[in-house]
Formats: sequence, structure tokens, C-alpha cells
Amino acid sequence: MAPRENSHEPSGTPVPVETGFATLAQLRVGVKAFVEKDGEKRKAEILMTQIRGGKPKFYVHYEDFNKRLDEWIGAERIDLSKEVEWPAPEKPEKKKAGSSSKTDKASQSKQSKSDQKNPKRSRSKLDREISATPEATSVNLPGKAPRPSKASGKENNELLVTSEVTDGTTPKPEDEDMDVVDIQDAAAAAKAIPAHEYSREDEIEKLRTSGSMTQNQTEISRVRNLEKVQMGKYEIEPWYFSPYPIDFVDSEMVYICEFCLSYYPEVTQFERHRSKCTLLHPPGNEIYRDDYVSFFEIDGRRQRTWCRNLCLLSKLFLDHKTLYYDVDPFLFYCMCTRDEHGCHLVGYFSKEKESAEGYNVACILTLPQYQRKGFGKLLIDFSYLLSKREGKLGSPEKPLSDLGLLGYRAYWQEIIVDLLIDGRVEANIEDLGAATAMTTNDVLHTLQNLNMLRYSKNQHVIVLTDAVIEQRERQKAKEKIKGKRSIDPDRLIWKPPVFSAASRTWNW
Amino acid sequence: MTQRVTGQRFRQRKLSTKQNLPVLRENEVEKLPDDDASRHIPKVETGVEKGEEIVTVISAAQAAAQGGGKAAHLYIPTPDAVASKLQYEDLYPRHFTQPATYIRFSSTVEDMIGCPYCMTAEDVAWLKKYNEKKSKGVQCSEDEFEQVMNFFEEATQTKQPYAAVDNSPVLSYEDLEAEFDETISEPSRRFAKDIYQHWKDERLRRGNRSLMPTLKFETNLETDDADPYVCFRRREVRQVRKTRGRDAQVTEKLKKLRKELEEARLLMSYVKRRELLIRDQLAMDKLIFEQRSAVKEIKRKLSIKGDDEELLINQKPAPKPKPRVDMQAVQRGIPGMGPKPQVTRPDGRLVDSDMVSLDDQLAKKSEMIDGFIEENLNKHQKWNVGWVDATWRPITPPLEQSAAKSDFRRVFTDSQLPTPPASVSSEEAGDAMAVERANKQVEPRRSARIRFATPPDDVPYQDQSRFRRRTGRGGRVMIDRRGVKRQKLEAIDERVADRWKFAGDSSEDEQTYPVDWTDNLHIRYRIMIERQGEKQHAQATAAAAAAHNRRSIENHNRSASGHLMPPTPTNTG
Ligand SMILES: [Zn+2]
Repeated sequence: MAPRENSHEPSGTPVPVETGFATLAQLRVGVKAFVEKDGEKRKAEILMTQIRGGKPKFYVHYEDFNKRLDEWIGAERIDLSKEVEWPAPEKPEKKKAGSSSKTDKASQSKQSKSDQKNPKRSRSKLDREISATPEATSVNLPGKAPRPSKASGKENNELLVTSEVTDGTTPKPEDEDMDVVDIQDAAAAAKAIPAHEYSREDEIEKLRTSGSMTQNQTEISRVRNLEKVQMGKYEIEPWYFSPYPIDFVDSEMVYICEFCLSYYPEVTQFERHRSKCTLLHPPGNEIYRDDYVSFFEIDGRRQRTWCRNLCLLSKLFLDHKTLYYDVDPFLFYCMCTRDEHGCHLVGYFSKEKESAEGYNVACILTLPQYQRKGFGKLLIDFSYLLSKREGKLGSPEKPLSDLGLLGYRAYWQEIIVDLLIDGRVEANIEDLGAATAMTTNDVLHTLQNLNMLRYSKNQHVIVLTDAVIEQRERQKAKEKIKGKRSIDPDRLIWKPPVFSAASRTWNW
Repeated sequence: MTQRVTGQRFRQRKLSTKQNLPVLRENEVEKLPDDDASRHIPKVETGVEKGEEIVTVISAAQAAAQGGGKAAHLYIPTPDAVASKLQYEDLYPRHFTQPATYIRFSSTVEDMIGCPYCMTAEDVAWLKKYNEKKSKGVQCSEDEFEQVMNFFEEATQTKQPYAAVDNSPVLSYEDLEAEFDETISEPSRRFAKDIYQHWKDERLRRGNRSLMPTLKFETNLETDDADPYVCFRRREVRQVRKTRGRDAQVTEKLKKLRKELEEARLLMSYVKRRELLIRDQLAMDKLIFEQRSAVKEIKRKLSIKGDDEELLINQKPAPKPKPRVDMQAVQRGIPGMGPKPQVTRPDGRLVDSDMVSLDDQLAKKSEMIDGFIEENLNKHQKWNVGWVDATWRPITPPLEQSAAKSDFRRVFTDSQLPTPPASVSSEEAGDAMAVERANKQVEPRRSARIRFATPPDDVPYQDQSRFRRRTGRGGRVMIDRRGVKRQKLEAIDERVADRWKFAGDSSEDEQTYPVDWTDNLHIRYRIMIERQGEKQHAQATAAAAAAHNRRSIENHNRSASGHLMPPTPTNTG
């Protein structure tokens, strides 16, 4: 039943997959081979190749894994004793890409030979070329649109069959930690997101009209461009591409100032910067403070540089985010912990100054070095607290990232179950929404998702299932041990900001 | 989709979100053979995108398929974050102290990071070598180095915005030097020429591209759209969308702007006209002067003696003599020419009376003051007849008489602050007038007036005299006073004062005369009114006024040496 097996079984409309044994020299972009990953052999697709230090390196994407785990590997990790899958024969309209793929590969290998002494430079050159010519981008990224759409189409059929069986018996696999979930679940989540293929024009139109940071399809399969970033006390591996200055592909480590979020390609520059930088907290007004965290409200228009820096940083960890447009129409709510060094950014969410769709969150992120500590829940809780203060119902902008979706699901479940478990005998959906600032749809979705909305004796009923009660008990026990962190509404000193027509738009 | 299709076979029963639904436990619901029942509920838009709905079901499916056994490693794998080797304490010193109140902050990153250029390892090496050759006093500091480099970078950015694209040559030192401005300090400039060579080398090494890595912004070329590095575009479409309201607003703004520009233009043309007139006038003056000296010459020639001094001196009183005025002035200046003609100054006031009356006025004023004080002194003496004066200042008016008492306060409180609550903390304090009420002679109307009088709007609070009345031990009544002083003159509007400076076209009714409301004249005027109105209180009123007057003198008319000086009215014209 696991989709991992399904995915290479041609089902429904059979797509003939050509398989066979390959030599190292035959490996090229688009080939799927078995690669060792954490002691297991996993099928992976080659997205890019290059010669580094005289040895071939492959940028691979593991099937059924989120692409944040894509990585460069050496040839020794590829198992050539197993058959590989050759890329599907080019369809007529793909011909152009296919042919240029070969020529590009040729030129690439030629280039790498001439540049063998300085492999890093060759990489950066290559990247520059990529960004300069639009055709070239699709060359190295054959998975662009077909891969996800093919997958989702197939999974579509499958799940609808299985859903009826499983819906009732589902104990949610989520543990208390919002990040905790089934591996394959995550993989599927990542894959299923692009529900249908967009044309470039559609997509830009969508970006323009939807007014915020929805995903940019062509960026989804882009190769990660930074190796490592250093920030505060941590070194972090980026997950996704982010449009930092193109020269940074040459850097082994990009240094990011913890307070102003400025970025430097080498440690000397960074240290010089630190000797001059006097910022100690996000450059805005503190609107919430308890003994654990502070929230700052930052206006994208007034703090353009800082907010751009923040977006660049968060793009490293958010696949769906796009930096296509500027930060002006957003407010950024930044959560920090404090010590004598300053206020350390832990996470943030952005929010449109005026959302036509009624979204109360555009992007939301807990920085990786602070994940799995319950900060995500505080961020979500805070976003709903703001909505309550505004007297509005809110919902996060779609699509959510896999981690984001899980975080929200866990939050919604906790909040709604908490409300229902207080001994009441009746509840109505709109009241639940009003009490939590959740939209009616999100309440319904949560109830349905937990199989709590049923039909019994000729009427609809809300069922507190044994599963959710059990989970609630477990969580309470855990809170007793670990202590519960929550947002105290009394400590929010904030009035919903009002913007003139001019400041909402993009005057320069 | 399949679900929806199968669901349609059942009768749809609408789920109302407004309706109260029973909340049950699992054991209270009958077990159903399958979950068909849930399909009675119409699928709602879940608020999550379709793709994600699918995810939900997948996760359910997989969890079911795998059972509970795999729970041990159920998590989304993410790449690691590890502790950095950099010395955090050195890089981020402990400078933060949390203020008691929530932080409010509006400085930008640019404000807070100093010079944006940060030295690279190459720069550090170069600077070290460079400084080795120099004696300690004239070495280039890192800050100075960065300032110069930053200046070169920014100047190039302005002068060659497309340097990276169009292969333009690296700017010469002379070109850059010509751009020197306040962003580059004097000490830094000493090194500019030497640093230039290093900067140029670095620039050439990078194909004349910026030394500070920059983001790619839109160039409005076709390649922008496909370039993932191009970010933070302006979003123009949306602006266009919400047009109607904005259009009207913009039109209004443009109209207003145009009107303002029009007015400014008109003003300028008037100024020009005025200046032209002044020029003509000066020419005229010159002509007059020349003709006069010609007259003088002729007089000399014809041996007519005397009078030519006046001919010239008499120009003085009229700074802008018009021929007609001047002629009259000449006549007037000559002694024995009969009654003075009514000469008007260009501003419409009488030249003559203006000139004379100032002295008169001053004399009158001081006379009045002297008389006033004299009169009051006499009154005091009269009051004090038959009394032994044990007070600190004999002239202080007696407080015993009830009528005088109430009047005393009224004069001040009328136009000044009402009596604030007494300082004693008992209930008594709540009623400051309690003491007053004990006194049967107080007229209710008056006390009410005292109570509710509001301070004059035009006098700043600090400048108002304030009194506090309180009852001390043994029923003693005490009055504290504060801020008792003469009013300051209202600041003279410079623009108003300026009006006399230039032209003579301002009209009379526009003129404002700042008035000192505590001026003796005014006090006197008020006294007069009081006298006419209430004869029986006249005496007391005068006493109060006198007290006020005296206070004014005490507070304001001490010279630096401490001597009392008569109140001199400051220039109000
Ligand atoms: Zn900084």
C-alpha cells in the first residue's frame, strides 16, 4: 500500500518505463538509480551532475522524500548492481529541452574539464548561465512539472479507493510534537502539493492576482544554491533555493547576522560587520512580551531591508514561498527569545496588510535551529490572537508547507477538542469558529478530518472519539512534565494597524 | 471525486453550521457497519487546497496500512542544524538590557550597521601591507579603509549602474575624486588615492562587478521572469486594479498641487512687481537728490545763503519720500510756516502725531503709575488708621473685612484659576469653601463665581496666579500663592512685525496690537468700570488692584541690582 512501491508500478494508464543496467559514465540527468541513504537503498533521480575535484558528483532527489533532503552525492553511493530507470522518451514538445540537454551536458563536461582545477568557479559560472538563459533552466531540472503532476494524478485514484476503509479507523499518526509524522506521509505531502500543472503565464497571473506569496511552480525543483549558513550559535543546512546574491554559490558558508539578518560570503566580512552592527532586536515595535518570548511587529514598507533579509532567510526553509514580489504589502510578526545578547529571532509569520481572501497568515516559519520545541504552536496561537483582537476569523494562506500543515492540524485539533471536552452537550460550528477565530471551513475540516462529524439517529452529531480524548490525555500528561507554553492575551499591547490606501500599495 | 459520486446516491442532508449539534462520546454513538453515514455530510470546502486534502487521506491510508509498529520513527526528516564553531560571545557581546516597557523602534538596518562595506580577507591583507610602510601616526584604519571603498562602490553604482553588464571601464581616480562629498571624511581622503589602486585591482578581478554581492532586482527585460535570482519586484498590477477611489484621490491631489503652484507663481510675479517699483522709487530718490544738489549748487551760484541744510536733512523722517510728501516736508521743516499740515505716512498713520505722542504717552503712563501708587498708599494709610500694624509688610491690605476679603479673591479668581482643593487631607479638604461659608457676609453669587471661574484660555497655565486657601491649626486661615507675577507679553509675531519693514501697502485694519492684559492701563480701566458699577465695593476693588499692581512691580520691575523700577510698557507697536 505504501506509495513508494506504487509509484514505480505503472498503474492505470501504463507509462512504459525503460529499465536496465548502467555504467557510471551513462548516468545522466533524469536517470533514476538506487542510492544509499542512511543505511537504506532508496530510489533517487539525478537532477544535476558535475565534476568536482576530478570526480563526478550527482545532485539527487530521493523519491517520496521532500526535496529538502536533495543532496550532492559521490558515485560510490550509487548502487549500479541494480537496474536503473532511464528517463522517459521525450515527447514532441519536450524535444527542444531534450536536445539542448545533451548539448548542454556536452558543453558542461567540456567546461568542467577546462575548469578542473577550479571546480567551484565552474559551478558558479554554470549557475550564472542558467539564470541568464531561460531555456537552460529547464535543462538541468527535468522534473520541473511532469514529476509532481504525474505522481499526484496517480495517487489521486488510489487514495479515493482506500479512504473509505481507513477514514474511520484513523488514529492520527501525529504525536504531540507537531513536526512528528510519518515519513511517507511527508513525502506524499510534498509530492501532492502541485495539484495541476500551471503554465508560466497562469502562474504569474496567479501571483499577481492572489496578492501574496503563493508558490512559484518553476522554483520547486530548483537546485539548492547555498551549502551552509551560519547564524547565531548554529550552522544550518539550507533546504531550498533562495535568491541570495548569485556569487554566494561559491561560498562554503554564508554568514547571517542574527539581528539585522545581513548576509556575508566570508567570515572576515561577517566579523567586520559584527563589529559595526548595533541592532539587538527586530527593528520594530514590541507588541507582546512574556517571560519566555517577545513579538515584534515589522512593517515591510518601513523596514524594507530587514524584511527582505528575513524573506531571503526563510526562503531557505520554505519551498512554497516566493520572493517574486517585494515585501511592502506585508507585516511581519517576529517571535524572539531574549537574553543579554539581544532578542534572538526564533520564528515569524507574515501577514498581508489587507488580505482579500481573509488570510491571517501568509508565510509561517520556525527557524530550523529552533524547531521541535513547540514554538510553531505559539506562532499559530499568536496569529489567531491577532485575529481575535481584530474581530475577524482567519485562516492561513494556502498552500501550506508539509510542516506547516501538520502544525496547523495539531493546533486546530487541540483547540477544538479542548473546547468540546469541557462537558458541553451541544455545540455549533459557527460558535466554535467565533470562539477560536477559526473560519467555519477550518473547523469543519478539522472535525471531518478527525472523523468527529457523524450522522446518527437522523441527525448530525459531533463525536469526541476515543482517539482524540486519548491524545488529549497524553498531551496533558506531557504538559505536566514539560510545562505548558502559551500566549497570554493580556500581554498583547496592540491595536490593529490601519493603513492608508497609499501605504498599502507599492509607492516608491 | 469518487466519494462525491457515491455520496449522491444518498439523500443529501444539509449540515447547518448555525445549528447546535449534540456532542457525544464514541460509546454513545451506535457502531455502524461502515462509515457510509459520514457521507451524509456534504463535503465542504476544507479550507485547505485540494492537493492537501489528498495528503490527509494518504496519511490516513498509510497509517492504517502500516499499523502502529512504525511509530518509533514517525517524523519528517529535516537536515540538521548544528552548533557553530564561531565564538558567539566574541561576535555578539552582551549589550542588551531589556527596558521595562515594550520596545518601540523605527531605525532601519541602514541606520544601525554603519558603513555597509565590510573588508574581505584580501582587503585585510592589503591594508596590513600598506600600513607596514607607514609610521604609526599616519596609518589607515579599517574604518577609513571601508569608508573609501564604500565610497568608490557607491559612486560607481551611481555613475555606472550597468557596469556589470555593459563592460564599461573601471572609473578613473579623477572621476571618483570629483564625486567626493560628505560621506567621505577628511582623514579618509588622505588614503583615497592609495586605496584606489587596490579597489581597481579588485574590480578588474571581478569584471568590474560590484565588490559587495547584491541581489538581482528586476531590469524590466524579458529574462527577468525566468531568472530565479530576480526577486522583490514591484507589484504594479494591483495598484491599477483599485482604480476608482484612487483616481479621484489622485485627481484631487493634482488639482491642489496645480493650484498651489499657480499661487506661488502669482506671488512671485507680485514680488517682481514690487521690486520693480522699488527700483523706480530708488531712481526717483536719486533724481530728487541730484536735483536738490543742483538746487544747492544754483543757490551757491546765486549766493542765496542758508536753508539748504534743511533741504537735505528733512528727508529723514520720510524714509521713502514721494515727491509730494517731500514737498510738504520741506515746507513743514521750515520754521514759521504756520500750522503743521496733516502728513500721513505711507501706512496711513499720522507722521506727526506718531512722532510726538510716543514721548507723551510714556510720560503720561509713568505719571499715571506714580499717581496710582500714591493714591493707593494714601488709601492704605487711611485703612490702617487706628490699627496697630503687626504684619510683615505694612502696606498689605487688611484681610479682616469680609467684603474686602471676598472681593480680594474675586479679582484674581475671576479671570484666573479657581481655588484648588485645600491641602489638608480630611473631608474638610473636599470643601474648600467651608471656611468661606462660615462667614455669613459672603454673597452666594460671588462664591459661586469663584468656584466655577475657568482660567482664561489665552494665558498659559504656568503664568496664571494661583491661590490656595486652607485652614490651619486653631482655625487659622492661610492663603498660599503661587505663580504670582505679571503676565509676559505675548510673543510678537515676526511676520507681523516684519510688515513694516518693507512696503507701505498694508492696510490699517490688518494691524494687530499685542496687548498686555495686566498692564496698568488695563487694570485702571477695569477699576474704573468697577467703580461705576458697584460703588460700595469700589474701595476694596481698588485695594485689590493696588495689591496686584504692587506685586507686579515686585516681581517684574526689579533691575539687575535689585532696585525697584517703574513699570515701563514694552513696545507694542
Ligand atoms: Zn547585523
